[in-house]
Amino acid sequence: MTTTARVAQTARPAGRKNPTPAPATTGTFRSKNKIDPTYYWMVVPVLALFAFFITLPALVGVFFSLTNYAGYGDWKFIGLANYVNIFKDPAVLQSYIFTFVFALTTTVVVNIVALAIALGLNAKIKWRTGIRTVFFIPMVLSALIVSFVFNYLFSNTLPVLAERFGFTPLATSILANENLAWLAIVLVTVWQAAPGATIIYLAGLQSVPSEVYEAADLDGAGSFRQFLSLTLPLIMGYLVINVILGFKGFLGTYEIIVGLTGGGPGMATQSVAMRIFSGFTGGDYSYQMANAVIYFLITLLISVIQLRLIQRRGVSL
Amino acid sequence: MSAASLSAKAEPSRRSLLKAAGLAGAAFMVPLSGCGATSGAHNGITTLRFMQNKPEVVAYFNQVIKDFEALNPDIRVIQDFNEGNFVPGLVRNDPPDVVTRGFAQATADFVKKGIFADLSDMPVAASIDPKMQDLVASWGQYNGSEISALPFSLAAAGVIYNRDIFEAKGVAVPTTWDEFIAACETFKAAGIAPIYGTFKDNWTLGQGLFDYVAGGSLDVAGFFAKLTAKGAAISPDAAESFTNNFAPALPKMLQLASFSQKGAASKNYADGNAAFAKGQAAMYLQGPWALSQLVAANKNVRLGSFPLPVTNNPADTKARVNVDMALSITRNTPNMAAAQRFVNYLLEPSVVNAYNEKNAAYSPLKDAPAVENPQISGLNTSVRDGRYYQGATTYFPPSVPLYNYVQSFVYTQNGEQFLAALDDEWRRVAERTAV
Repeated sequence: MTTTARVAQTARPAGRKNPTPAPATTGTFRSKNKIDPTYYWMVVPVLALFAFFITLPALVGVFFSLTNYAGYGDWKFIGLANYVNIFKDPAVLQSYIFTFVFALTTTVVVNIVALAIALGLNAKIKWRTGIRTVFFIPMVLSALIVSFVFNYLFSNTLPVLAERFGFTPLATSILANENLAWLAIVLVTVWQAAPGATIIYLAGLQSVPSEVYEAADLDGAGSFRQFLSLTLPLIMGYLVINVILGFKGFLGTYEIIVGLTGGGPGMATQSVAMRIFSGFTGGDYSYQMANAVIYFLITLLISVIQLRLIQRRGVSL
Repeated sequence: MSAASLSAKAEPSRRSLLKAAGLAGAAFMVPLSGCGATSGAHNGITTLRFMQNKPEVVAYFNQVIKDFEALNPDIRVIQDFNEGNFVPGLVRNDPPDVVTRGFAQATADFVKKGIFADLSDMPVAASIDPKMQDLVASWGQYNGSEISALPFSLAAAGVIYNRDIFEAKGVAVPTTWDEFIAACETFKAAGIAPIYGTFKDNWTLGQGLFDYVAGGSLDVAGFFAKLTAKGAAISPDAAESFTNNFAPALPKMLQLASFSQKGAASKNYADGNAAFAKGQAAMYLQGPWALSQLVAANKNVRLGSFPLPVTNNPADTKARVNVDMALSITRNTPNMAAAQRFVNYLLEPSVVNAYNEKNAAYSPLKDAPAVENPQISGLNTSVRDGRYYQGATTYFPPSVPLYNYVQSFVYTQNGEQFLAALDDEWRRVAERTAV
């Protein structure tokens, strides 16, 4: 999940309302089977780079998932044995459960927080620009750095404070608690991801014409009613985009966990991405490649479902 | 477990990231093999590439190389300390000529694949202490009898203790488990944390509490030999299983954990070094790699080491050792003669003994002088008599997240679940690597 992708979304918030009219006149001036080569110059290099650096390695990975390759040395084909073994591995299953629970929770929390912040920042409050800037700072910080800072806070500062105020549940680091460590990861992820979602919501809120609120005021609707019946439906497209982009990004969660718990305590916070990556260093290359292929298929399925959802909502990504 | 691999654990992703990036890139380089070779003979000067994996001794080896080049003007040596390059180098068929690595499971894997040349004909091989050479051989030999690596440095680990605190409380270095427990109780009663625990960095639990107790109470090498022989047929009920061998040792591990200071779960290795150096605990379950950090944190700290006694028979007490550096020559190097001359030079007493003295480690030479460094001299008897073992954690394939399991065990205190998980993991890895 890159934040630039989200920013790009805001650049064309009105896309679905004012579809760019197709240049109908072009056809009459130019022969139909002759296309300006400029378009090829734009597309082909990117396509070639994408194929060489993304598609080809992925295919190489799929190929090796059918072997017992350790990353070096001899290897031979072993058919689908890696895939069969993946399904028998409770550690892998646990990482899938953790990742999905984490992604769902984080998506919900991020969107609630981001929407609340966006509503606040969209209102006519004092020092609005300054406050907006403050809220967007987390977005420009590297997730790894953020998580190392929070790691220190959770491990040292928070326990000391909790002990001073006699709040025992937090007196030992929650990162050391197998049942609570994932909440710390959710918290830091939300802190880091909310600004990006907020930007999209802000763009959405600004696209809502003020007339509808004036009309609602005249009809005597309270502010909560206005939010529920006007704001939310009108920015539904933005909400769908946020949920989809967010969920997809959180499924690949990696660096914040590395910075906070390293997958621990015990096995409590091992995400799928971490398991896959462990194959590179662990001599388990082909096995984790099989895991990666399975994970790719699952995310692909989710993406297809989400795309269907978007189309029904009439939003274009 | 070399100090280098420890520092890699402190920053988990950087080196492994490089390695992965290298691996991915290497996949494309296969058809281009032969390109980019940096070693070879030009103008009568042979260039060797020497790879070592400890960033803290780069300057030291630069000096060694300079001395070597002065004596051997026809050889130039390039030091390469990016270990992440090693596997991609193999894939490209352009590995370094001389390699030194910590010798354990991972390096043994290379040996099994015949990556390294046989060094048994080198005269210098005869000057190595056979007990230390056996540590290398215990991981398996290529073609049954080849010597693929010559030990260069042996790190011995035990319990690091604060001499001032021991003297102030009148506690002598314990030689039996009961004495050790009594010492812990004494410190506890005096309001001093007996042991400084750094549970947040789970490797410290693995190499400390888990390895020390396992190594002191059972024959680790024998156990893993039988376990490996059993292969994928292992089950928790088998006589060779973790469940049936490690269970008696687990209560002692938990007892050790219980003597740690309050809040050990939120402290990491760096916290531990800082706190222990300031005298916040009497003992610290760490190896020699921590010594320089402890002294850096407090230059007046007076430290010693002793092997952890795990039974009540002092003769059973053993130290945890690892072959921290072992020299190998890659099999396909075009510069075999020059590489052998360089290895010979590195194993000259003046070079290898000086290195080990400087780095609080043990020289592999038969007639090396006794270690006088008071920080580790408490381990001398164990090392001299060969009463040592290689840590149980080092026998695990890296794909088993063992440290996580150990940490989980210490937190949940569920030994049955812990050992069943190890049996299970071991079987699964055996299953998929056997195919």
